[in-house]
Amino acid sequence: MKINALARRTIGSVLIVALSLMGLQAPAMADIVSTEQLVAEQRADVQRATVNAFLARDEVRAQLEARGVSADDALQRVDSLSNAELAELSQQIDTLPAGEGAIGLVIGILVIFMLLDIAGVTDIFPAI
Amino acid sequence: MLSRRLRVPAGIIVLLWLSGCASTPQSRALFEQFDKPSSSPVIALASSVLLDRVPFFPQEAYQCGPAALATVLQASRVSVTPDALVGQVYVPARQGSLQIEMLAAARAHGRIAHVLPADLPGVLKQLQAGEPVLVMQNLGLSWYPQWHYAVLVGYDLARREVVLRSGLVREYRMPMTVFERTWQRAGHWAVVLLPPGQLPEDERENAYVQSLADFSRQADAAQMFAAYEVGLQRWPESRVLGMALANLHYAEGNRQAARMQYERVLRHAPDFAAAHNNLAQTLLELGELALAHEHALTAVRLGGSFAASYERTLDAVNAALMP
Repeated sequence: MKINALARRTIGSVLIVALSLMGLQAPAMADIVSTEQLVAEQRADVQRATVNAFLARDEVRAQLEARGVSADDALQRVDSLSNAELAELSQQIDTLPAGEGAIGLVIGILVIFMLLDIAGVTDIFPAI
Repeated sequence: MLSRRLRVPAGIIVLLWLSGCASTPQSRALFEQFDKPSSSPVIALASSVLLDRVPFFPQEAYQCGPAALATVLQASRVSVTPDALVGQVYVPARQGSLQIEMLAAARAHGRIAHVLPADLPGVLKQLQAGEPVLVMQNLGLSWYPQWHYAVLVGYDLARREVVLRSGLVREYRMPMTVFERTWQRAGHWAVVLLPPGQLPEDERENAYVQSLADFSRQADAAQMFAAYEVGLQRWPESRVLGMALANLHYAEGNRQAARMQYERVLRHAPDFAAAHNNLAQTLLELGELALAHEHALTAVRLGGSFAASYERTLDAVNAALMP
């Protein structure tokens, strides 16, 4: 009986100390903005700049408009692209051979994103 | 990936010529600059470089991936053999190695794998700095690819060629234009391996940050301190590098060092909400509640992507301030 009570008290105090340590540490870590978060944000910023610069090129604007897409609309919608879509688009742009006609592929992907959105398959451009 | 095929490069080169004068703008620009040296060259390059110290592993069938990776790792003072790498990077079903696995294996051996931009002068500059460059080439055609890994160890602008450790040839000399074409068809893939504390010949701060992000998952704190500190020497105003260093001090339990580093970031970027937030949290743990409150309020006022965290920090500081 005596041993049981002692054991229970010991286990109890160990648990209290352990729980309070967990409680002290968890929120402290949670509210630090982590390096991973900052790196991911920077990556998305760089990719958005790549896509914007691409859409600002004259020949790209011309090709988009030939497909019935307003280049200004496209520029506005880059802001609402998800990180995965941004990554896809900017990667396509980065690997384009300089000065060749391969921009059609990138524009195709952009147009597909827009069509999927209009059709309600995805929700890429909530503004439409 | 291909070894036998390297014995018939002449045929491939003829095919490349036949496939049209596909543009090699970077080589051409380099030749022009070399032929007519101006007083202010676009990029300062020695006329030739040869890194003779780089080891050579004649590859066995299809195993150019492990051989090329062992070459650059050994050049970076990591003792590892191609055979030891086969299990890590060679995919028998594809008779080759995936680029992503090459990078992961380099990181697993304690090296930062940094992908260089699609810029031939920049790659040559990296050679000039003394580091061999791991490259991927497509020795076939775009619709009939023959992927191949090799290691650039030199170049000669007067002879208009590059020097590679490739296949069974220790010093494989290739016209620079042909290299540019085969490299371009492999997506301009070029990688330098860096021990933590050494920087690439690449001016893009964000690219260095991304390479470190991948490296950090397998690295220890000492390696990351070295990598962040050398990065901050070149880019002292880099917000992400400054925060990464401060967060590392924080994670290591060194609150005072973390505090000083967050304050340093804020001197360069006074409106950086995340730095205010992390500093507030650190000050809270140091018991400097009034100052913590000030920075937590600033973070909430500035807002941004991580606004929810800022609110929670402010709540925590307010709770601590209550009598």
